[in-house]
Amino acid sequence: METYVFEFPATKTLKQRAHVGVVGSGDLEVLIQPNNEGKVIVEVRTGTDGFGAVWKTVLERFFKENDTAMNVSINDFGATPGMVTFRLAQALEVSKRYD
Amino acid sequence: MINLKDSFVERYARQRAEAILDKGSFRELLGPFEGIYSPHLLVQNIVPQSDDGVVIARGTIDGFPAVVIAIEGNFQGGSIGEVSGAKIAGALELALEDNRKGIKIRPVIIFDTGGIRLQEANYGLLAISEISSAISELREYVPVVGIIPGKVGSFGGMSINAGLLSSIIITMEGRLGLNGPEVIELEAGIEEIDSQNRQQIWKIIGGEQRLAMGLADHLVDDDVESIKTCLHQIFKEGNTSPRSIQVERFESFISNINPATKLTPQDAQALWKEQHDVKTTAKRKQPVQYNSRGARWFKALTNGTEIIGDDVPSVLCADKGKFRYLSITPNPNSRFYRARQGEVGLEEGWRLAKHIREAIEEDKNGEKRTIVAIVDVPGQAYGYHEELFGIHQACAAAVDAYASARRAGHPIIALMVGNAVSGAFLAHGLQANRIIALDHEEVNVHVMSKKSAAKITRRSIDKLEELACKLVPAMAQDIHSFASLGAVDELVKAVNADEPTMEDVRVIQEKIEELIADIKAGTPGLQHRLQTKGAKENRTASILVRKKLAEQWN
Repeated sequence: METYVFEFPATKTLKQRAHVGVVGSGDLEVLIQPNNEGKVIVEVRTGTDGFGAVWKTVLERFFKENDTAMNVSINDFGATPGMVTFRLAQALEVSKRYD
Repeated sequence: MINLKDSFVERYARQRAEAILDKGSFRELLGPFEGIYSPHLLVQNIVPQSDDGVVIARGTIDGFPAVVIAIEGNFQGGSIGEVSGAKIAGALELALEDNRKGIKIRPVIIFDTGGIRLQEANYGLLAISEISSAISELREYVPVVGIIPGKVGSFGGMSINAGLLSSIIITMEGRLGLNGPEVIELEAGIEEIDSQNRQQIWKIIGGEQRLAMGLADHLVDDDVESIKTCLHQIFKEGNTSPRSIQVERFESFISNINPATKLTPQDAQALWKEQHDVKTTAKRKQPVQYNSRGARWFKALTNGTEIIGDDVPSVLCADKGKFRYLSITPNPNSRFYRARQGEVGLEEGWRLAKHIREAIEEDKNGEKRTIVAIVDVPGQAYGYHEELFGIHQACAAAVDAYASARRAGHPIIALMVGNAVSGAFLAHGLQANRIIALDHEEVNVHVMSKKSAAKITRRSIDKLEELACKLVPAMAQDIHSFASLGAVDELVKAVNADEPTMEDVRVIQEKIEELIADIKAGTPGLQHRLQTKGAKENRTASILVRKKLAEQWN
């Protein structure tokens, strides 16, 4: 297991926290919560070691398009980059459901 | 227009709970944002999940207050660790408290579990026994209903708990068994069960077979509305006689089975359909051999008192004074060839239940005799016929009998003199009010052989041992590690574990007397286990989860 922390700049705010996914084979769990720090703070725990650079690239790209200030907690069980992006988008979608 | 089915199986645990509750009534307790992760997975380098794989939700079912407990099969095989186990036990205990006060709460458990989490073995064992205790009592007030939708199905200790339920709803995709097919294959060989033959596995333990064998109550389509309709109907009809108390019926059925040749699932169904009351009782062929440590302690403690019932020679039972002693011993002549070494098998589970329930009945108007479970069990029987005929149900019968006796006021003492393994320990020992263990290197507690545990958790045996040493007490098998969780009330040194002397017997009897006084001064539940010094130090998550659940309950 490896743990990474990343930070990205943000301009928008998140209204509502959200939780999606499970820590199951090829899947991941994403928890997002609003913060007042004007940035995205991501903590990743992954069971698949040695993919730090891939995580950085995938998350950087996603949060460039979605620069919403929040704390993101990711518990990963071997999800592909596509799956990671899908779950992050889903979390934002679920968060908006309460608007 | 075709009406497409709304699949229940395909949902995650949280969505399953939401689907079962009346629309809009779902309220989660101890949800993902509370951050109560398993404290034992991270130190083993395993990614945890924010809800530890169990969702507890309050809401209403058909307009009545309810609690739904949903296990997430996708996370660590739906396994029961300290946090997930405490969530289930805690929720049921709160439902029980309310029902006792006259507030009817409908409890539903959605099973998708491989049983005890091997990485948190000792915690899992204790949690499972606490869940059993709660179900057994809660069922007196309200039907406790289980749903086994499928994907993982229900295995291990949680299947023993399934065997305690008032009613089980299962789908064609659901499976219900004690030992998983992979583990049986590992322990008994591919001739016993081919775990890769999925079609065959479903024929043995799948939903259709379970219904036909009287081990489940309702076979439904994988469809939310069908499951809800069935659930509403069960609660409308109210309490029925649960399987685990139908000792005579199942025992007589099991006594007619002869697995000398392999019986097919069709044979099994035919036997169940025709079940006749004529018992073919095989009497004990020779005097008891006392060829196990458990049997020798039994002999020393009962001091030659007559053994009650000799048609199931592996279960030793005798009354001496105000005590009933029970022990399991090897029976090399058992018809059930996978249960010849002192394992708890089909016959043993149901027979334990019979001996205990007899004591409850005989003492119902008088002084309640103490029941002493002498624990020296190498495991539950891993076998094809065992699964086919519902060994989980036999274990559940024993669990239920012990729990019922405890509630009826019989002091229950477990005396651990040898191995205490897994389902066998759950069935024979873990429902006790108090536990005495011999402080001896051969007194071990575990949930699976190292060989199988290594294979299932995909680690080497060396790695497993290294973790166990570092991570006492989650996985280690020695009695000190188990005792450090606070469930052992007396750890007795300096007795001859193998050949107890008169003096050893006196020492143990003295301890038993002290504990009986302690039991009589307390409550009949298992709460005591969380109030000990060991529990306060090493079961902090079990205590915290219960406290938080109580705060969020209403």
